Amino acid sequence: MLSALVWIPVLGVILIGLLPPPDEAAIARFVKRSLGESLPPDPARLIALITTAITFGLSVVLALQFDSTSLQSQFQESVPWLEPLGLNYQLGLDGLSLPLVILNGLLTWIAIYSTEKSIQRPRLYYILVLLLNTGGAGAFLSGNLLLFFLFYELELIPLYFLIAIWGGDRRGYAATKFLIYTAVSGILILAAFLGIVWLSQSPTFDYAEIHTESLPLITQIILLGLLLVGFGIKIPLFPFHTWLPDAHVEASTPISVLLAGVLLKLGTYGLLRFGLGLLPEAWSALSPWLATWAVVSVLYGAFTAIAQTDMKKMVAYSSLAHMGYVLLAGAAATPLSILGTVFQMVSHGLISAMLFLLVGVVYKKTGTRDITVLRGLLNPERGMPIIGSLMVIGVMASAGIPGMMGFISEFLIFRGSFPVFPVQTLISMIGTGLTAVYFLLLVNRTFFGRLPEQFANLPRVYWSERLPAFALALLIVALGLQPNWLVYWSETTTAQLTPAIALSVEKIALRIEADPKPLKNAAVFLPSISPTANTPKATAYIHPSASSNP
Amino acid sequence: MNITIAPKTSTPSHPLTEIIQRLQAGGALLPDSPENVIEVVGILKSYGIVLDAYWRNLTYISEHQFLELFPFFKYFNGEVSFNKLLKHWGHDRINYEFAEYCMKAMMYHGGGKLDAYLDTPEFSERAKGAIAAKLKGNFLVQGISNIFPEFLPEQIRQLAYYSALGQFWNVMSAMFLSLSDRYDQGEIKTIPDVVAHILAALVEAANQPITYAVKIADRDYEIIPQSAGITFLMDTGVPYIEAVFFRSFPFMGTISYNAQACQISPDPGRFNYGALYADPLPIGGAGIPPTLLMQDMRHYLPDYLHQIYQRSPRGEEDLRVLICVSFQKSMFCVTTAAILGLMPYPIDTIEPDQQQTNQAYLEAWMDRLVDSRLPSMQMCDV
Repeated sequence: MLSALVWIPVLGVILIGLLPPPDEAAIARFVKRSLGESLPPDPARLIALITTAITFGLSVVLALQFDSTSLQSQFQESVPWLEPLGLNYQLGLDGLSLPLVILNGLLTWIAIYSTEKSIQRPRLYYILVLLLNTGGAGAFLSGNLLLFFLFYELELIPLYFLIAIWGGDRRGYAATKFLIYTAVSGILILAAFLGIVWLSQSPTFDYAEIHTESLPLITQIILLGLLLVGFGIKIPLFPFHTWLPDAHVEASTPISVLLAGVLLKLGTYGLLRFGLGLLPEAWSALSPWLATWAVVSVLYGAFTAIAQTDMKKMVAYSSLAHMGYVLLAGAAATPLSILGTVFQMVSHGLISAMLFLLVGVVYKKTGTRDITVLRGLLNPERGMPIIGSLMVIGVMASAGIPGMMGFISEFLIFRGSFPVFPVQTLISMIGTGLTAVYFLLLVNRTFFGRLPEQFANLPRVYWSERLPAFALALLIVALGLQPNWLVYWSETTTAQLTPAIALSVEKIALRIEADPKPLKNAAVFLPSISPTANTPKATAYIHPSASSNP
Repeated sequence: MNITIAPKTSTPSHPLTEIIQRLQAGGALLPDSPENVIEVVGILKSYGIVLDAYWRNLTYISEHQFLELFPFFKYFNGEVSFNKLLKHWGHDRINYEFAEYCMKAMMYHGGGKLDAYLDTPEFSERAKGAIAAKLKGNFLVQGISNIFPEFLPEQIRQLAYYSALGQFWNVMSAMFLSLSDRYDQGEIKTIPDVVAHILAALVEAANQPITYAVKIADRDYEIIPQSAGITFLMDTGVPYIEAVFFRSFPFMGTISYNAQACQISPDPGRFNYGALYADPLPIGGAGIPPTLLMQDMRHYLPDYLHQIYQRSPRGEEDLRVLICVSFQKSMFCVTTAAILGLMPYPIDTIEPDQQQTNQAYLEAWMDRLVDSRLPSMQMCDV
C-alpha cells in the first residue's frame, strides 16, 4: 500500500512520457485567445491530476486504517536491496509522517490543478511535478536512512528544473542557488547518516536498527550539528535561508505551493525524525542553543518580512519565521510542543500554500506583486473581492487568530515550550504579533483603498482560480475548530519521541556527575545542563497527563 | 437659483479647449461615436423606465403621504400587501430612496424661484391652512406643532420638492423613452442628435408650470399655485442639474471626508460630489450613491446594450460600473443640452462680441467640469 503512494506517480510519469507531443499551435492560439475559445484537455495534465488524486485518496484510506494508539511504524514494507551497503527498501508510516504524506498528496494535486493550462512543455512539467510527489512521499515514508536520502535528493533535480524552466526573470540565478544550497544540505545529511551508522556500528541504515546511545556525547553533537545545518538549509533557518526568497519569487505559483507546503517540511521532518529521534542526548544538550536559534530565526524572518514590498517575498519570509516555531518546539521537546511541531508543519503547509495561491492570482491578474503599487483590490465590481476575502482569512490564520489552524499550532508550541524555555518562548511570541504587522501591511496596502486607474480593467477571476484557495481555507478553519481531527493521528508518535529526550537529559547529568573530564569540550555547548536544572523540568513534561491534554 | 456660471475672460489655453471647440462646432461634451450613441440611448431607455417609477412614487408621497409623520409604506404607492412587503424586505424592488436623495439634494442646495417661493408669506399661509386641515382633531401633533412651529412647514417644503421633482421627472422620463423610440426608428444616429432631442424637449417644456396641491378631507389645498410662476426649466430643471449633476453632497463610502481638515468646502456652491463627478469604481464613493440607481437600471437594460456589457472583460461582474459609466456619458449629453439652452447668444453667432461672450461662458462651464469625469469620457472606457 505504501509503495503505491511512491510508485503510482512514477507510473503517471511513464504514461505522460509515452504521450505524443502536445499541439503547440493550439496552446499558442489559447495564449492569444479570443473570448470563448478554450484549450482542448491536456492528457498530461489529466494523467497528473488522476495520478495524484489516486495517491491522495490512498493516503486518506491509509489514515482511516491507521491505528493511532500504536507506537509502531505501520503498514511496513521491507525489501532487501543493497544489503552490503545497508540500503533496504523499507517503508513505514507513523503519526509523524502520516499528516505530511496526506499534505503531500493534497498540495501536489492542488499545484497541478492550479497550473496554467497553457503552460509550455506540459509533459516535462507534469513529469517533474509527479517526481516531486514521489520524492516527498518516499522521504516521509522511508524507514531507512539511505533510502530517505535518495528520495530527499530526488527532490532536488525536478525542483531545479521547475524553477529554471518555468520560473521568472531571474530563474537561472534562483535555481542555481537552490541547487547549490540543497546539494550542500544533502552532503551534510549524508555525512551525518554515514557517521551515525558507521560510528554506532549499526548493521544497516534501517532506522529501527540504529542505536546511538553508545556514542560519546561530543560525537553525537558533531553529528547532530551536521544534521542541523543540513536540514537547517532545507527548512530553512537563519542564516541558511537566503535561497528561499529567491526560489519563491522566481518559482511559478504551483511550485511555490509545493516548495512551501511540502518541501520545506522535509527539513523539519528530517530534523525531528533523525535529529531528535536518533540523537536525543545531543539534542537535549543543544536544546537551549536551538531554542535561541529559533528565536533569531523567528524574529529575523518577521522583521525582514515587514521590510518587503513583494507579496511573495513577504510570504516567503513568513515561512522562515514560522519554521522557527518548529525548531523552538522541537528544542523544548515536550509532548505538547512536539505535537505542536506536527500541527505547525501541516498548518504552515496549508496556510502558506493558500497564501501563495492567492498571491499567484493577484500577480496573474495585475502583473505585479508590489504592495506599493497595488491598491483597492477588494473593490466589489472591478477588483478581486473573493480573492481579497480569502487573503484576509489566510493572513488571519497565519497570524494565529483563534478559530483557525495557525492559532492551534502556535498555542500548542508556546504552551508546550514555555515551561522549558520561557524567555525564548516569550520572545518568539512577539513574532506572532509581528506576523500580524506584516500581513496587515500586505492586506491593507493591497486590498483596501480606491482601486487605481491602472487596475480598473482587471481580467475577471474564474471560480477555477478561487477553488483551491477555498478548499484550503475550509480545511484551515475546520482544523482550527476541530484540531483533534489532526492531533488524533500524531499524539502517540509525538509522545513517544519525548521520553528519549528526558532519559537522555538524565544520562547527561549522570555522565557529568560521574566524570566531567570527557565532557570538557562538550561543556561549551551545554550552558544549562546540570543535574538540578533541566532534568526535573523535562521529565515533568513527559507525564502522560501532559500528552493527553493538547 | 441659476447655475453659477460667471462670465470670464477668454483663455486660449484652457485644458478643455478641445471640448469647447467641439461645442462651438455643433458637437457635444461627449465625443460622437457609434459606441457612445448605443450606450447613451440604451442607458437612457432604462433610465426613462426607472424615472417613470421614481416620479410616480414622488408624486404619490407628496399627495398621499402628506404630513404622515411615520410613512412606513411610502414606497408602496398605496398597494400594501404581504407579498409586496416580502419583496420589499428581499430588496426585489425599485430603490425609491435614490429619488429621495435627489430631492433632498435639490432642497439642500435650493435655487430657482421654487426655493424663493417656499420662504414667502404666501407659502406660509397656504401651508398653515393645509396643516390646520390635516391636524384637525389630532391634539397631540397640534401640541407638538405649537412647540415646534417650523417643523411642519419645513415638512411641507420638503413635500413641495417631492412634487416638483416628480413633475420634472415625469417630463424627462417620457422624453428619454421617446428618444429610445426614435433611435429604434433610425432617427437618432449621432450624439448631437441625442443632444438635439433633449434640448428640444427641454425647450418645449421650459415654461410648463410646476404646481402642487393636496386633497385633505375632500378639499384641495394649493401649496404651489400656478400664480407662483414656477416653471419647469429654470425653477426645477436648472436647480436639479446644479444640485444632482454638480453639487450633491459628500456621501459616506469607501472615501472618507474630513470636514475639519477642510476636505469639504464650507461653501456648498463649490461642492463637486454630483453625478458628473461620481467615481464609478468605489460604489457609493461620493455624492448621491449611484449604486441604487445602477441597481435599478440593470433590470431594464435593452438587449443590445446588455450584450455589449456582457462582451466586456468582466462580463456581468462589473455591470453596475459599466452602467454608471454609460449613465455619466448620457448625463453629459443632458448637460450639453442645458449648456446650449442657456447660451447667452446662439452658438453659431458671427458677431465677435457675442462669440467672445459665448467663449467665456463655455470656459466657465469647463472650469467646473475640469475635475469631473468629462476628461476620462473622452476615451471609451473607465
